Amino acid sequence: MKLLRGGQKKFQFEIDRTEKFLLFHALKLYPAVPASHHRLSKDRHIPNREENQHLLDEALKAQRIEQRKQIESLLNDPHRFVEFEDGYRISFTREEIEWLLQALNDVRVGSWIALGSPDQQAETKKRLAKQAAPHVMAMDVAGYFETDFLHAITDGTPPDHE
Amino acid sequence: MPEVLPDIEQDSQTDASNDLDPGYMVICWDDPVNLMEYVTHVFQTVFGWERKKAEKKMREVHNLGKSLLTRESLEKAEFYVHQLQKYNLHATLERDTK
Repeated sequence: MKLLRGGQKKFQFEIDRTEKFLLFHALKLYPAVPASHHRLSKDRHIPNREENQHLLDEALKAQRIEQRKQIESLLNDPHRFVEFEDGYRISFTREEIEWLLQALNDVRVGSWIALGSPDQQAETKKRLAKQAAPHVMAMDVAGYFETDFLHAITDGTPPDHE
Repeated sequence: MPEVLPDIEQDSQTDASNDLDPGYMVICWDDPVNLMEYVTHVFQTVFGWERKKAEKKMREVHNLGKSLLTRESLEKAEFYVHQLQKYNLHATLERDTK
């Protein structure tokens, strides 16, 4: 994915057919982090801990439902991707990039959890297992697009994908 | 004449000092999955920090296993933890016992 134009509010990218397929594939996996994964505190003596944990879970759930809707509307908008010879041109606002980053990172973290939350050493081994392939692929694809979007909104330079 | 003292009623339901006391730490914990660039971006977005400060905090998380991001009242600490978790960072609030 290549940044064509970047500004304060709007960013235009060029994306080839394979990248579009992969971006759609990753976004369709959202949300991937299990509900109630996040804990408010490790401290059992926080006032109203259970009640506040419940409120946090509900707030995160509502946010994910809203974001899922936004993603579906993006994926189903026929005018969003403008086709040209080798791929597509697509524009996102800064706000859209922000929620795309959240969604892609959710897929990345969710896939990592599905792998058993391995540390870096264990991850290398887990990657080799056949049944791990879909999670490894989702993690890497989400990371690939996260890096592209972050570079676009940070300094406009293309990332160095290894 | 006997001295009349005001009748002070204890409210067992609320503890104002708990809510307003900046005695809660917002901590971000290291994990091997969130990209360093992403963590920096989230710190900048959530706290409004300049890139240099956000990078310093991100490196603390990466090198030390955790970083104390801010000390706040309970309510504000909860707000920040929610914001960080929205981005799927591993963040919690802990009581500052020092």
